[in-house]
Amino acid sequence: MIGPETRDAYWNMALDEAASEALASGLVGPTIRLYLWRPGAVSIGYFQSLAQEVDRDRCGALGIDVVRRRTGGGAVYHAEGGEVTYSVIAPEGLFPGITESYRLICGWVVEGLARLGIKGEFRPVNDILVRGRKISGSAQTRRGGILHQHGTILYRLDKGTMFSILRVGKEKLAGKGIERAEAGVTSVSEHSKATLEELCAALQAGLTEGKEWVPGAWTDGELERAEELVQKYRDIGWNGRR
Amino acid sequence: MLGEGSCKVPGGKLVRVRVEYGTTIEGVTITGDFFLHPEEGIGALEESLQGMGVGAGEEAMAEALRRAAEAGGLVMVGITPEGIAKAVRGALRCAGG
Repeated sequence: MIGPETRDAYWNMALDEAASEALASGLVGPTIRLYLWRPGAVSIGYFQSLAQEVDRDRCGALGIDVVRRRTGGGAVYHAEGGEVTYSVIAPEGLFPGITESYRLICGWVVEGLARLGIKGEFRPVNDILVRGRKISGSAQTRRGGILHQHGTILYRLDKGTMFSILRVGKEKLAGKGIERAEAGVTSVSEHSKATLEELCAALQAGLTEGKEWVPGAWTDGELERAEELVQKYRDIGWNGRR
Repeated sequence: MLGEGSCKVPGGKLVRVRVEYGTTIEGVTITGDFFLHPEEGIGALEESLQGMGVGAGEEAMAEALRRAAEAGGLVMVGITPEGIAKAVRGALRCAGG
């Protein structure tokens, strides 16, 4: 269990990939981690079009980084201080099929939220809802026999910034307007007085419950590999590939 | 020529396509918030439609995508061959069929 720790978008994504590679090579055990983003950033899914999803000029003006993930799924605004991300990196063989593994791991997040008195509900494929509104979304990849799932838990919403930098598609809104998209999202702070630190502690408890675990740190090898991967995640060739 | 189309799969994700074409489909780019395992297999799906006539029907396109997915051992989550085919047909609406 590593974190919570705060890094920029490129390091956050690079460490997820480095930890997955190190586990695939048998150099480290499975990793569960919690992390925050500084500066705030938008992450887009592996298959998304950068230009169609993100207003890059607006991001630049606000000092918000943009990065493409190694996982599919949708665009996420990781507001500094407004969101927590988790990762689970473990042998694929420990998990059921794709939909069921989302249900299992999202269940751990639901358990964490329950510790704050928040009743979350998994909605396939990859979301957690509270009273019908989305509080968390996750994305998973399976490579080299390793399952890597990461996901966002919204702590405090800055809807103004979120919807000024994300280009929410007309088709996605189905003609119901931007208010409809805003109304579909919620955050921990709307349901609990918990601090961000208390949210992290609750999520850690939910993610680790019933498992043998120890507080961990990055190995030198993971950090060295991550430093290389940071270059990929900074590269417009990667971020702008679609 | 360049065409764009999209399809929201019921209960699933949004698929967008950009299609370059003349009398046949020359190139397809599939984007969206879906999942595909392994991710690199997206290239095989895109290539499976190349060379098809611009009048090709949705069923024929879906079948080509299905064959490519089977050959590559690809698992789609939140999208379907039919959804991609519908988006491509939409992008070609002014051409052929």
